Amino acid sequence: MSAPAIVYVVDDDEDVRKALGRLLMSAGWTVVTFESPQAFLDGFDRASCSCLVLDLAMPGIGGLDLQRMLEPEARTLPIVFLTGHGDVASSVQAMKRGAMDFLQKPVDDEILFAAVANAMTKAESLRAAEGEHRRLTEIIAALTPRERQVLEGIVTGRLNKQIAGDIGIAEKTIKYHRGNLMRKMKVRTVADLLKVAQRAGIGKTQAG
Amino acid sequence: MSWVVIIWSMMAASSLTLAVIHLFVWFRLRGRYSHLLFFFLAVSVAAFGWCELLLMRSATPEVYATTLRWAHVPLCAFVLSMVGFIYFYFGAGNAPLALATCATRLLALVLNFTTGVNINFREVTGLDRFMVWGGEWVAAPVGVPNPWTVVPQLSNALLIILVVRAAVTVWRRGEAPARRRALVVGGSLVLCIGFAAGLAALTTTGVVHAPTVIMPSVFIVVVAMGYELVRDVVAAAHLSTQLRVSEGRFRAVVQSVPTAILLVSERGAITFANAQVKSIFGYAPDELIGRQIEDLVPSKARGSHETDRRNYLQLAETRSMGAGRELSGLRKDGTEVPIEVGLNPMRTEDGLLVLASVVDVSERRRIEQAAARQRNEVAHLSRVGMLGALSGSLAHELNQPLTAILSNAQAAQRFLAQTPPRLEQVAEIIDDIVKNDRRAAMVIQRLRALLKKEDAEHRPVDVNEMVQDSLRLLHSDLLSRRVEVIADYAADLPRVSADRVQLSQVMLNFVMNGCEAMEDANGSRRLLVRTRRAPSGNVEVMVGDRGPGIEPADLEGIFEPFITTKLHGVGLGLAICRTIVDSHGGKIWATNNPDGGATLHFEIPVSSKATIDVGTRDRIRS
Repeated sequence: MSAPAIVYVVDDDEDVRKALGRLLMSAGWTVVTFESPQAFLDGFDRASCSCLVLDLAMPGIGGLDLQRMLEPEARTLPIVFLTGHGDVASSVQAMKRGAMDFLQKPVDDEILFAAVANAMTKAESLRAAEGEHRRLTEIIAALTPRERQVLEGIVTGRLNKQIAGDIGIAEKTIKYHRGNLMRKMKVRTVADLLKVAQRAGIGKTQAG
Repeated sequence: MSWVVIIWSMMAASSLTLAVIHLFVWFRLRGRYSHLLFFFLAVSVAAFGWCELLLMRSATPEVYATTLRWAHVPLCAFVLSMVGFIYFYFGAGNAPLALATCATRLLALVLNFTTGVNINFREVTGLDRFMVWGGEWVAAPVGVPNPWTVVPQLSNALLIILVVRAAVTVWRRGEAPARRRALVVGGSLVLCIGFAAGLAALTTTGVVHAPTVIMPSVFIVVVAMGYELVRDVVAAAHLSTQLRVSEGRFRAVVQSVPTAILLVSERGAITFANAQVKSIFGYAPDELIGRQIEDLVPSKARGSHETDRRNYLQLAETRSMGAGRELSGLRKDGTEVPIEVGLNPMRTEDGLLVLASVVDVSERRRIEQAAARQRNEVAHLSRVGMLGALSGSLAHELNQPLTAILSNAQAAQRFLAQTPPRLEQVAEIIDDIVKNDRRAAMVIQRLRALLKKEDAEHRPVDVNEMVQDSLRLLHSDLLSRRVEVIADYAADLPRVSADRVQLSQVMLNFVMNGCEAMEDANGSRRLLVRTRRAPSGNVEVMVGDRGPGIEPADLEGIFEPFITTKLHGVGLGLAICRTIVDSHGGKIWATNNPDGGATLHFEIPVSSKATIDVGTRDRIRS
């Protein structure tokens, strides 16, 4: 990974923000703090591999609001919530929306570190999956329309002859296209091809 | 015996009698020179009467001339005392005119003895005998007039002008008794002097041949003046009787009122005390006469009392002292008694006296204290209840510094465990730990202040600071309710004298009330908190919400006990706010905002007095 791993801390209480930042720093994390959700939205680095330690109750935009606003990015930004009182309703809502953890203040260092480490691992894997997905999407986008038709046929388990019949071209031409797309997708066997196609989301509906 | 002799003798004797009476009056009332002057006037009239009788009975022209010469001596005395009388009695008169009258008269007297046989005649050549009623005869002179006789005539004319002017002046002053006096005395003087002087002039010049009969007219003058003076004496006697009666009434009233009354001289000596002083101060009234008023003041206040008393004498206005502050008197047995004092200055001939009415307020103060205690207790209970509702928020307020402390401490542990230890970080951390510890302590202190159960204590309070503190206490609650506070504090607000905790309680109630009003609001939950100097000079605090507002009919009622628009809640919060604000001498009310929502207001006087009215007490009991 090129960008460093960053732990973002958002809390409106300056004392708490500073203390949490220090604690995470003492454990070796790179920490960036923000005093409000708005400041965070304006200033955080979307390219970095990061997680967010977020206070629940803040004036103006609250923690839950920020989580909602981050929905598009949330896939790669795990959130660890911190709260003063054990508000069950809020915690359920937060968890349902995919929060990593819901911790109570004052928080013990081990618990916080575990949650942050967890979130970071998740962030990394999310980012890895995201990278793979993007790569495959690019490959598939590079296929010609005909090659794509052939690929869909293979994924749904039809023979070359049948595919040729479906499209209305010669079986030989199918073989030619098949060789091209196997090369473009860098696979040797049909089994590999099926695996990659599935990951790229091709033919999912038919495969069920 | 001749009736002329009898009448003239009687007139002279009567004048003399009146003269003696007024001499005695003058002895008793030394200031009244009018009585002394009247004495001289009446004596001179009596002497003139005898002279005139001799004139009328003169046997030869020589005797007549000599007698007339001597008759001018009492006549001169008459005119001089008349001028003096007008000056003193009327309190009016023209000084140059008076001096001119006296001067011409004295000149006439000198000429009387230096020219002719007298001032009237150069020589008296013969006597005519006039037969009058009853076979009597009187003498009338025949002779050559003295040309200097114009001098006494001028004097007479001046005298008449003097009298008329004085009478007109007195008349113009306009009071009814003065007008009557001007008419009676002035009128009789002018008529009689005019008649006498005119007759004398006419007979002397020989225009009219008749005996000079002046005595009856001057006698009338004496009677008229005597009458007026006697009226004065009678009126004075009447006044003194009235005074005695009213003084008797005053004493009866003073003795029967339930308050203790003291009369104090300018130098602070007690000159009078009624019977009620016994019940308040323990002294019999007689024991207090002559003592200093400071003997009734507790020693700690004695020094300032003397200065206060002196300052009061300079203003000398009616006022009460002790209302609203602790004022106590010193009893004979050395104990102190709470009192209220009313002061009335009385200007008398003996100088300025101060009438002090003293009321024992120990019973009233006891009731007031009981009511205040009760009110404080209710306020305290309501505070405790309110804090119950706020406990979650308060826990959060404590949680914040605790979180900071824990994280800081654990970070420090890690920095120290590193090789080499990162000491520069640790120093900063410890500073922050101390700071957050203090912050937590402040929360607890604020909480304890609200929970403490002490009598209301009035101290100078910075209202802005009080409001900020209250909002800090509610910080988490406002956050979790998603209420945004917009504050607008007036600069340079004077401090108010108040119990800070109780004011804070009102503020907390207002804010929570505003939050609850916006519970169901979909739009912005915004609370506008404002302080300002009200037009009345009081300090005003306003809390406006964006809720549904208050029904116009309920604007008054929301401060009554057990009235609530909330689903849960007893409806005591705002009622207790009202008793608190009332006990600070302030005002509490609610208004609806033009753009929606309601605003609660309260204002406190800058220097408030802790007065408890009966209404407040009743509200607490109900």
